[in-house]
Amino acid sequence: MEDYDVRSAASILASVKEQEARFEQLTRALEEERRHVNLQLERSNIPPNPPTSQPLAWQQVVMQEQSPSNATSLAMMQEPQEVVEETVTIEEDPGTPTSHVSVVTSDDGTTRRTETKVTKMVKTVTTRTVRQVPLGPDGLPLPEGSSPLGSYTDSIDRRYMKNGGDRFITPQATSTLTRSYNNSYNDSYGETPESQYVRHYGLHDGYADLTENYGSLSRGVNFRPPRYPYLPNSYRPENSYTLPIRKDDYGHVAQPQVPMGSSTVDLNRSQPERFQAEPYGLEDDRRSLGPEEEEPYELEPDYSTANRPLPECPGSPVHSQWYPDEAIEPELIDERHPYIHGMYSAPLALPERGSMASLDRMGGRRSPSIDSMRKDPRWRDPDLPEVIAMLGHPIDPVKSNAAAYLQHLCYENDKIKKDVRQLKGIPVLVGLLDHPKPEVHRKASGALRNISYGKDNDNKVAIKICDGIPALVRLLRKTNDMEVRELITGTLWNLSSYEPLKMVIINHGLQTLTNEVIIPHSGWEHEPNEDSKPRDAEWTTVFKNTSGCLRNVSSDGAEARRRLRECEGLVDALLHALQSAVGKKDMDNKSVENCVCIMRNLSYHVHKEVPGAERFQDPSALQAPGSAGPQRKKKDDAGCFGGKKAKEEWFNQGRKNGENDKNYDTLDLPKRSEPSKGFELLYQPEVVRLYLSLLTESQNYNTLEAAAGALQNLSAGQWTWSNYIRATVRKEKGLPILVELLRSDSDKVVRAVSIALRNLSIDRRNKDLIGSYAMRDLVSNLPSGQQRPAKNLEEDTVVAILNTIHEIVTDSSENARSLAQAQAIEKLVAINRTSQSARETKAASHVLQTVWSYKELRNALTKDGWNKGHFQVQATTPKATKNGKPGYDDTTLPLMEKNQGTGKCGSGDMIPMDELGPDGYSTIDQRDKDCKFKTVDGSVDQTEREPSKNDTNRKHYIRTNRPAVSLVDACDVKPQPVDSWV
Amino acid sequence: MSAGQAFAVVVQRIEIRKLRHGDNLILGFSIGGGIDQDPGQNPFSDDKTDKGIYVTRISQRGPAEEAGLRMGDKIMQVNGWDMTMVTHDQARKRLTKKNEDVVRLLVTRKSLEEAVKHSMGSYPRQ
Repeated sequence: MEDYDVRSAASILASVKEQEARFEQLTRALEEERRHVNLQLERSNIPPNPPTSQPLAWQQVVMQEQSPSNATSLAMMQEPQEVVEETVTIEEDPGTPTSHVSVVTSDDGTTRRTETKVTKMVKTVTTRTVRQVPLGPDGLPLPEGSSPLGSYTDSIDRRYMKNGGDRFITPQATSTLTRSYNNSYNDSYGETPESQYVRHYGLHDGYADLTENYGSLSRGVNFRPPRYPYLPNSYRPENSYTLPIRKDDYGHVAQPQVPMGSSTVDLNRSQPERFQAEPYGLEDDRRSLGPEEEEPYELEPDYSTANRPLPECPGSPVHSQWYPDEAIEPELIDERHPYIHGMYSAPLALPERGSMASLDRMGGRRSPSIDSMRKDPRWRDPDLPEVIAMLGHPIDPVKSNAAAYLQHLCYENDKIKKDVRQLKGIPVLVGLLDHPKPEVHRKASGALRNISYGKDNDNKVAIKICDGIPALVRLLRKTNDMEVRELITGTLWNLSSYEPLKMVIINHGLQTLTNEVIIPHSGWEHEPNEDSKPRDAEWTTVFKNTSGCLRNVSSDGAEARRRLRECEGLVDALLHALQSAVGKKDMDNKSVENCVCIMRNLSYHVHKEVPGAERFQDPSALQAPGSAGPQRKKKDDAGCFGGKKAKEEWFNQGRKNGENDKNYDTLDLPKRSEPSKGFELLYQPEVVRLYLSLLTESQNYNTLEAAAGALQNLSAGQWTWSNYIRATVRKEKGLPILVELLRSDSDKVVRAVSIALRNLSIDRRNKDLIGSYAMRDLVSNLPSGQQRPAKNLEEDTVVAILNTIHEIVTDSSENARSLAQAQAIEKLVAINRTSQSARETKAASHVLQTVWSYKELRNALTKDGWNKGHFQVQATTPKATKNGKPGYDDTTLPLMEKNQGTGKCGSGDMIPMDELGPDGYSTIDQRDKDCKFKTVDGSVDQTEREPSKNDTNRKHYIRTNRPAVSLVDACDVKPQPVDSWV
Repeated sequence: MSAGQAFAVVVQRIEIRKLRHGDNLILGFSIGGGIDQDPGQNPFSDDKTDKGIYVTRISQRGPAEEAGLRMGDKIMQVNGWDMTMVTHDQARKRLTKKNEDVVRLLVTRKSLEEAVKHSMGSYPRQ
């Protein structure tokens, strides 16, 4: 499926043919074997009747294991496979079965095991083909595509080290893993492997039994106890290796006999032991696979243990299904346990060792690991230079195993990441991205993803320097393997968290990411087919990663925003995805969050930056300095807006009317001759409903914040569209929704909503409504003097609320009266006098001054016990207005132009934005800019990059214990712990 | 290793047979955590960077309670699947497979861990 590449049709054909040939050979081999056994039987005078109905007939059961999914079979077929066939012949006393086991290992990591089992007593030949699936540390098959990391890496490095690599190169010319090979291996390692895994995996035999697919095959197979001692020697090497042996060479070679029962005792673990406490070391190995995403988990439901009948009921239908012959069955069952271990030994031995190694590492003893010490003092882990050298090994599986091992080593280990970088491992890994073998580029992507994660930006830079970004993008275009795509996009997400790389990603990857991931997964169609109904977005990991990446790069300033806005199909697809999320009421996930954040970022300064924006500027605001669209004013570009001149006038007229007679509600939106597309969609009044739906339904604070931020951005500025947005929010009944969110427990949601309300109140009618209905909620968020309310809002938020209150009471004595009635004066005075925060003090002071400026209120205020002194600037407060101008672009106010015109000019000066200016608080200001999106200076937008990171830097952040984020950078944490009943 | 690893060294296996509840099979407990969650808000973890899956609530006389699962247990594996590096949703899905009647959990809990910590000494962390 994923692996399947159209281009390789020819090679598939070739490999199919190859396999056919192989089977033919295999059949011949079996024939021969059968004759051989026949002969023996004849010689030995036919033993007593077996419990079969056909005493003298050979029974042949051929089992072709079903692949768990199409993916698997395709993957198998996809590339020419190097196959090893191993035949093990065990001859024993009469009554003991003789089995011939052929193991065919293909280089995609799968093993075909053909066993010819001859039981003299029973006169049964069982022939089966078993496809060996990669096994997880628990003994369960791993999902296709997720590598059995432990087994691969460990086996390979171990052997590699031991043999100095010779063995890899030496083509194992004979299929049978010649005896000498085995022996040499055996000599070196003794019994290590089996005893090792036995200890561990013995635990699983209870689970192991009766899997429907693999279980019954790989476990229920009637191997005999005597057989497994071979495994560590003969079977395992090439199983974990998968390499050196050529498929053509397999033949049928008698294998050494092995004394029976040599270590059976060890291998048979009794049931109780399954439940005993055991070292838990697997997590490390599993973890090194990187975050498992949905797909691998979901792909093969058949693997799950629940499918398996419990061990207590071995004779389940599953069996008869696979062993149609009743007669064989009892025997199979009886012998299952002993030999389960044999079956499992090879693949399973390794993860355990790996995990032990990880434990060691935690303990500070890196290598040699405990068990290897115990088992064989000569053994050691390869050191990092050796692993990196293996990346350049001529044999591909060595490369991929080395890369997988690197991924494992790098997991959450910044030191190793740094070492890999310094040892020049990163360019090699990047080079492997272009490797034609999926296994190789997959593992290289995995390693790069782990390396790219973390605070150490040098690693990210190192990937960029060796052109890793274009290489990743190239691979993304080439591969259809979902796992690889996840890894690539995850890596890009990680890289995108570092400022200097954002533009590089945009330059190399924007259109590809959009075309390859965003558009297809969003469900949006460029030219929707009339017949097909609109598709919903798919919240795949790839989509999540990609949207996260774009979310990060979208904060890289005006040029980045421009590129994203103009990226064909991007805005359309994001909007479609969000609409689909709203439609399905599935709004809490990370992908939605990412999409809303991108939309918010792209909405920033839209009134200045989009082509043709200047023609929509509100004439009354034209004097605002530098407010015209900065770049790319393409006069002709805005043809899509339709008859501009007339409409513009009409807009403005409408606006004026609205202002004069408060008749906004009757304002109609202009009719469009054709549907808007691309970046125009960002500011069409239709988006208001979308954001409001998100604000109503989403439980994800980041999504709420971003949706409020989008409205904030869109309602800022003086151009025709923002007028419409402000009016539309009101008409769509958005104000109560926003006011409701003032009660949110999330600091940043309160802040974003508060600023949005401030921008919305540029609209006079909105201002009246907000003054009437939002005042109490705004005031209740204010601290009472030094004592913070339960919510413990940040300084930034408090300042934002104060500024919003200021905006609302400006030019509205009615609202000022509401403020006083909301018991706000007491709080404001307290803040003004006692707050530790100079910014809060100043903001409160400005509100108080404004309130006092309404002479008609003074009587009432005096009655309440206030006097002029309460409303005056405190002596200690730094002069606000003086510094006001340079600092005007208060982050809390970002999008409001200074000279709003229309009677607001005066108020502009009074708004305490100056506190952000060069009055000694610039550092705070700087910090502020990082978390808001509204400064005019363009550096603002960094805001949206990585909310969580910024948060961590905050001294006063409520949640001081921010997580270190998971494997994927910039993945800010969901604020609300999710709790699910299962 | 950097912070974030849970050194759950001692584990307990718990087998829960799901209870049919209408159309649903229920286990009778709730989980919190996951790599996509804020581990700082996990009340059960000692290490506040631990993004593992934790048992947050247990319904009375539910299958989980009867099987011996306890609030605050950290789930290491579900039917052999690693749960220490999964998203919340992955864990939930893994636990709620419709076609599985039984889940076998590998869990660790503080009381068990404690004993091991004593015997193993402290782990240096990078």
